[in-house]
Amino acid sequence: MVMPATERTDALPYLGYGLGLRVEHYEALLAQPSRVEWLEIVSENYMVHGGLPLVWLERFRERFPLVMHGVSMSIGSTDPLDDDYLARLAALAERIEPAWVSDHLCWTGVQGVNLHDLMPLPYTEEALDHVVARVKQVQDRLKRRILLENVSSYVSFGASQLTEWEFLAEVAERADCLILLDINNIHVSAMNHGFSALDYLRGIPVSRVQQFHLAGYEQGERLIIDTHDAPVSSAVWDLYIEAVRRFGRVSTMIERDDHFPPLAELMAELEHARVLAEPLLRDAA
Amino acid sequence: MTSLQAMQQQMLQAVLAENTQIPSIIGDNGIADARSRLDVYRHGYRVRLRDALQAEFTGLRGMAARRFDTMLDKYISAHPSEHYNIRWYGAGLAAFLDYAYPWRDQPQLADMARLDWAISVAFDAANETSASIADLSVVPPDAWPVLQLSLLQNLHVLDCGCNADAFRRAADQGKPRPRLRRFAPARQILVWRKDTTVHYRRLDDDEWHVLSAAIRGETFAALCACLTGFHGEAAAMPRMVAILQGWLAAGLVRGWTLATA
Repeated sequence: MVMPATERTDALPYLGYGLGLRVEHYEALLAQPSRVEWLEIVSENYMVHGGLPLVWLERFRERFPLVMHGVSMSIGSTDPLDDDYLARLAALAERIEPAWVSDHLCWTGVQGVNLHDLMPLPYTEEALDHVVARVKQVQDRLKRRILLENVSSYVSFGASQLTEWEFLAEVAERADCLILLDINNIHVSAMNHGFSALDYLRGIPVSRVQQFHLAGYEQGERLIIDTHDAPVSSAVWDLYIEAVRRFGRVSTMIERDDHFPPLAELMAELEHARVLAEPLLRDAA
Repeated sequence: MTSLQAMQQQMLQAVLAENTQIPSIIGDNGIADARSRLDVYRHGYRVRLRDALQAEFTGLRGMAARRFDTMLDKYISAHPSEHYNIRWYGAGLAAFLDYAYPWRDQPQLADMARLDWAISVAFDAANETSASIADLSVVPPDAWPVLQLSLLQNLHVLDCGCNADAFRRAADQGKPRPRLRRFAPARQILVWRKDTTVHYRRLDDDEWHVLSAAIRGETFAALCACLTGFHGEAAAMPRMVAILQGWLAAGLVRGWTLATA
């Protein structure tokens, strides 16, 4: 059964089918009308003083609804939240008025050192309390609810008391934030850790999910590596169908971070998402 | 220290130092052992930093050639990243090349890194509005001697002991790297951004002297006096006019004020 959009409790808009905005596709996206309905920017790329990045951003802002997606908030770090980072993030949000702001449920550094990676947390009560308090701090600072995305992971910790999905759901409920569900990341982590991706979906509260990411991965020797540099795999498309069945109409986008194909190829993937989701959503209406 | 802090610090050290023991906090299962799991993060850390440096230091890549990757690896090992934005990781590379063996014996590499970095910084520096020739045409003729130019705040002048600008230009244009030329004394390279385009060029000696004077806030009369030493009294003014026209066309001048007595 598909959850009707009307049962959702959040007030953020439904944006349709979008893409992650990357320099490689700037010209093509503006050159002709397309069925790309919205764009997700990487916040840090535009948290700059001036120059070309902001010129391009204004051009896209005139044409597309935008959302901001960060990679450096480090919401789970035990270092203090970075005031300068949050001030720049808030300034960018004020400037472009995105539909929403998101980052990842992870830590990216500690002791002043940044690993520039989405490091997983141990799923403990201690980590839960820590993250919830910091999400509230960020939401107060930004004066808006944020979305947190599940990350792909390669390690897990013996200390964990909760499953990843229980942890994510608890953070969202206790901090009153929303969820960006990366369908690829669920698959990658499920394969790497041996849990059920369907159990994951079933453990996430429907009303908290605001956005889906779809992406590709690389099959390593033993582990699946979340490269976001390949087409969406058939396993991830299958999981996407299950996600649509459970969560209903959710703003969906293709996130490609490397090995950029021509825009038409990403458009074809986006169209495939539409083709898979829309019949399910129509049947449920 | 909380257990979460301790865990993060253990993970940090394990990712940074490739030869350390695998922390016991990492779980193992039949899919992959703990070392394989940790290696994904170790490998990813170094690849991301190397990619970021390669994107910023295109001139240095041409100049260092086969030594480039080793140089980056040594920098990555010596300098953990401290900024949330990976784009800023290269801020310390030129200083590293100043002191780290064997590159400290080839000062052209640090010069090249400084130019690459200045270009990178100018790319998304704060926007500034440039004055035009028309803006200066309202200055009354008798006020020109006390005119003080305001130059771009984001203008950088680098002392450079080699033709780093030629290496960077070759990289920008996809051309073969030039032959290395050393300068003693050092020459100056000007880096600035006009609108959205970053420019760089080597300065002639006379222009460097007059530019320094303008940056110090000296008057137009003093700038002309600077040039007298190079060109004699008769030729100083036409040269100054030519330089000023060049600065205005390049967007280097933000505005002007009149010095009070």
